[in-house]
Amino acid sequence: MSLRRTLAFRANLFFDVVLALIGVGAALTSVLVVFTQTNSLVGWSRAEAFVLIGTFQLLTGLKGTFIDPNLSWFPENAVRNGKLDTYLLQPAPSLFLASLAMSSPLALLQSWLGLAVVGVGISEYGHLPSLSGFLAWLVLLAVGLVITWTLGVLFACLAFWAPRLQLDVFYGSAWQLARYPVAIYRRPLRLLLTYVFPMALIATQPAGALLHGLRPMVMVGSVAGAAGSALLALICWRLGLRRYTGATS
Amino acid sequence: MIWLIRLTALRLRQEVLEWSGAWWFLLTLVVQAVLGPLIGLFVWSAIFPTNPYVTKYYVALMLVTLMTESFEQYTFAERIYDGTIGHELLRPQPVVVGVIGTNIAIRIWLTVMGAPVVVLAEIALQVPFSWSAVVLALPALVIAAALTFLWTLALSLSAFWTERVHAIVGFGSYVSTLLGGTIAPLAFLPEPWRAIGKVLPFYAMLGLPAEIATGRVHGVAIVTGNAYQLGWVAALTVLSISLWRLGVRRYTVVGG
Repeated sequence: MSLRRTLAFRANLFFDVVLALIGVGAALTSVLVVFTQTNSLVGWSRAEAFVLIGTFQLLTGLKGTFIDPNLSWFPENAVRNGKLDTYLLQPAPSLFLASLAMSSPLALLQSWLGLAVVGVGISEYGHLPSLSGFLAWLVLLAVGLVITWTLGVLFACLAFWAPRLQLDVFYGSAWQLARYPVAIYRRPLRLLLTYVFPMALIATQPAGALLHGLRPMVMVGSVAGAAGSALLALICWRLGLRRYTGATS
Repeated sequence: MIWLIRLTALRLRQEVLEWSGAWWFLLTLVVQAVLGPLIGLFVWSAIFPTNPYVTKYYVALMLVTLMTESFEQYTFAERIYDGTIGHELLRPQPVVVGVIGTNIAIRIWLTVMGAPVVVLAEIALQVPFSWSAVVLALPALVIAAALTFLWTLALSLSAFWTERVHAIVGFGSYVSTLLGGTIAPLAFLPEPWRAIGKVLPFYAMLGLPAEIATGRVHGVAIVTGNAYQLGWVAALTVLSISLWRLGVRRYTVVGG
């Protein structure tokens, strides 16, 4: 449905495609400018940085497609205007509907372009990733996606307690912190970004796994973290729903 | 002329009070404004760890960004889309009075909320600023604020012709961060882009006031810098006025 809506207006489609291209171009240009002045950014070479940016764009595209439309819609429409009732009345789990029902498929273009950038990075790097590294990358991407969804749900759930609070702008800004290797940040911020708001899992860890191979401790920790955070999201959603009173509930 | 200023001041007061209710949203805008220079600071001080200029430049840039942020694509273009600009068109005052009032009101709030963050960063990162350099940077800052407003306004006026004003303004703001000194200080850009950046208005909007405040641009260069800023103010004013006149002519909304 969302796809058909998007394809209905060709001029808008053209603009959105150009915007996706510019988004990826912007990320690449930033990396390119950095590497005109140095050969290594906290130990990452240019090829490795391309893989990082490509992975980041991949997840940004997925976030923009599946999570952002719902996160910006939720506090205003669902909670303040009571439209959450439409999801509560349907037989599917309300958390699933509220967080994933709407999508803007055009943002997927960013993901495809990100994949292409990862390809460019790998070819410049010289050696192909090992099978375990590739699988680790896929697993960590899935983990990153779950973490992204969880953070989106947690921010949206805040609307149950403080309906005027809309944190999609904040989430978008904080997301930009994942664009560079986490090692550039100083210690307290780096710890925050690895364990509390795991932005490191968005790009740095998956890219590291793809390039340098599997690290079991990281994998176990990440999967456990993702499972734990999904559980946290579910609990917060249930708690929030208990507070919600709409027209029919 | 005086009545225009008084009208703008009245509108400014109204908007400051209105925006005071959305202080939490303004905080997210402060985070958004500060994050670009902050990330730049981390990246470039990781590349040049012994160079204190980079840190100082980005702390100054944080304040410059806060004081020159413009959101005309939300405050103005959205009103063109939903037709409420009709209310402004019916008033016996130029529509731009309201737009300027809103813009300055948001900037005042962003500065009030963000200045402590900047001061904290200055103290934590140990980059003291000299008062003389900061005072010399003030005229450049004021002109930069006008310039950023005019640039965003000119781009937002494309709302008269297209539904995708957010994409256009987003692209404009990206170019501004690339060639204006947020992604990298202009001195670090590779050659053809550095020369292009020096000519285009984006450096006048962001990098120039920050570099004057750090003391890197001094003496006569400040005066030539201000002259170049004023030149761009004139150019963008002419552009904005022409786009407005062309746009209003073809605009139709219920009531007029």
